[in-house]
Amino acid sequence: MKQVVVHPERCVGCMQCMLACATAHSRSLTLFAAVQETPQPKPRIHVGAGRFNEGFPNRCRHCDPAPCQMACLAGAIYRRDSMDTVMINPDRCINCASCAMACPYGVIRFHEDPLGPVGHAIAVKCDNCSARVAKGQVPACVEVCKAGALTYEEMDAAMRRKTRTVARSMSVDTDPPAIPAGVALLKSIKQSELQLSGS
Amino acid sequence: MKHVIIGNGIAGVCAAEAIRILDATADITMIGDETFPPYSRPMISHVLDGSQPHSKLPIRSDHFYDELKITPLLGQRASAIDVDNKQVHLADGTRVNFERLLIATGADPRPLKAEGLDLKNIFYMRTQDHVKQQVAALDGARRAVVLGGGLVGFKAAYGLLKRGLEVTMLITSGYPLSMQVDQTAGHMILDELVHHGLKVEVGVSACAFEGNGSVQVAVTDAGTRLPCDMVIVGKGVLPARTFIPKDRIDLDLGVVVDDHLQTSAPDIYAAGDVAESVDIARACRWVNALWPEAASQGRVAGLNMAGRPVAYPGSLSRNVMRVFGLDVLTVGNANPQEDAGCRVVETGGADKKYYRHLVLKDDILVGVVMINRIEQGGVLRSLIENRIPIRLPPEILITPGFNFGRLLS
Repeated sequence: MKQVVVHPERCVGCMQCMLACATAHSRSLTLFAAVQETPQPKPRIHVGAGRFNEGFPNRCRHCDPAPCQMACLAGAIYRRDSMDTVMINPDRCINCASCAMACPYGVIRFHEDPLGPVGHAIAVKCDNCSARVAKGQVPACVEVCKAGALTYEEMDAAMRRKTRTVARSMSVDTDPPAIPAGVALLKSIKQSELQLSGS
Repeated sequence: MKHVIIGNGIAGVCAAEAIRILDATADITMIGDETFPPYSRPMISHVLDGSQPHSKLPIRSDHFYDELKITPLLGQRASAIDVDNKQVHLADGTRVNFERLLIATGADPRPLKAEGLDLKNIFYMRTQDHVKQQVAALDGARRAVVLGGGLVGFKAAYGLLKRGLEVTMLITSGYPLSMQVDQTAGHMILDELVHHGLKVEVGVSACAFEGNGSVQVAVTDAGTRLPCDMVIVGKGVLPARTFIPKDRIDLDLGVVVDDHLQTSAPDIYAAGDVAESVDIARACRWVNALWPEAASQGRVAGLNMAGRPVAYPGSLSRNVMRVFGLDVLTVGNANPQEDAGCRVVETGGADKKYYRHLVLKDDILVGVVMINRIEQGGVLRSLIENRIPIRLPPEILITPGFNFGRLLS
């Protein structure tokens, strides 16, 4: 089964994935109409700033077993085995934030959602774009990512590739794993900026 | 294998599920006091405050016992354990044989010593039945007294305030949740409650209740008379362990368990509010009577009983609650002793509507209090639980922009 794989070293922090995610979880499914919606759809992937202000795309890992599922007071969090996805039932969620305490990655947010009950805040997180995948599309964050920081692929293949890259990097006479030159430049500029400003 | 589980709270339920995952044919018997289907205990405070209906409490199917092929023995408590003959005695004289036993009897409200406790509308707050009675008593009630400022007392007071009652809370320390939060956060919570109409009396408890059939007055030990239509007693809980033979199974405050949740007697395990494991943040034996801990202990105990050795790393005090406009999240030890050699890093405060309080022992995080913007609380909890050395300046952990990416170098 294909999964979204995150390559944080390639993220440039453009936040396109956040816009695409919010749009994919809106009622209208188009960006221009989505910004007019009430409640406004919000992203379920969160690009945070790392230590050197580099981007870090943070999304649900769909853990198994999932700590949020075990901690959910209302029995609202469940696993959809067919998609290997941890889901939140918006009608059972009581917005108690016990899942925020449980999640080791900090990827759950609490707000009213266009796809949830009207007038009530609920816990909202990545659903692996199950609605898009059911229509044969790839997850919205992957589709929009221009930097190759988010890919949609078989997990086994991705793991094998990563293992090979790491193994090769151990050998001294080969080059370190390549990230695109533009991304590398952007990261070193950000890092120098921070060093110059002394923080 | 014949498994017997005493207790049908979340620890017992999760244990039964774990056993069934590993062993489709094992014989499982569950002994339980409550006949209601497995439900979410912490949600009863949401029923009291009116945000959720009583009907949403069950969190497993109505046919839970049938579906998992469990023999339920409900409606009575265990009265004794015969360790040598591997039998549990029930109140009605029944004897149940076991090969592996789980003690998951939970805890009972700490009883109050006061006169007039037999009056109507004086409640403890522990079970779905308690909250059902409380909600029924709300009709026509105008004033309430809540005893205790711990988790139960606090949630009771909050629920009744949300229902529009005039609530007076009697607490012994200067602010509510003094076991869970530090002084600054405690006063922020207190101010928020007082702003919404809570009256607080510090340093007193109730010693008598008066009324004509139903409670009408609570008399404090300072001599004050507080008129009230209902009283909720929230003075904490005590592990339900009186039936356990203390000469055969090690008892402290709770039932002492090892790192596989086995008691000092072979083949007898304990999990949930009755079990005393190790507190990770305090690094000593501790009973953390909390629902998520009970769920995870039940699961680990069940796996061990079914023959898969799984270690339990210890428990952690943790709570998250919403108090009108404040979201509060606490983990571990927020109030270390002065001689414990801990360092505190703080930011924000009452005027900011944002507060962070971290407690570090050397480079290990041992306590966190957060008020508002609590989404990253789980990241900090995980750092405490896994005892990850903090290689960053801890000030980074208290900034509003803190996120998982900051931990990666």
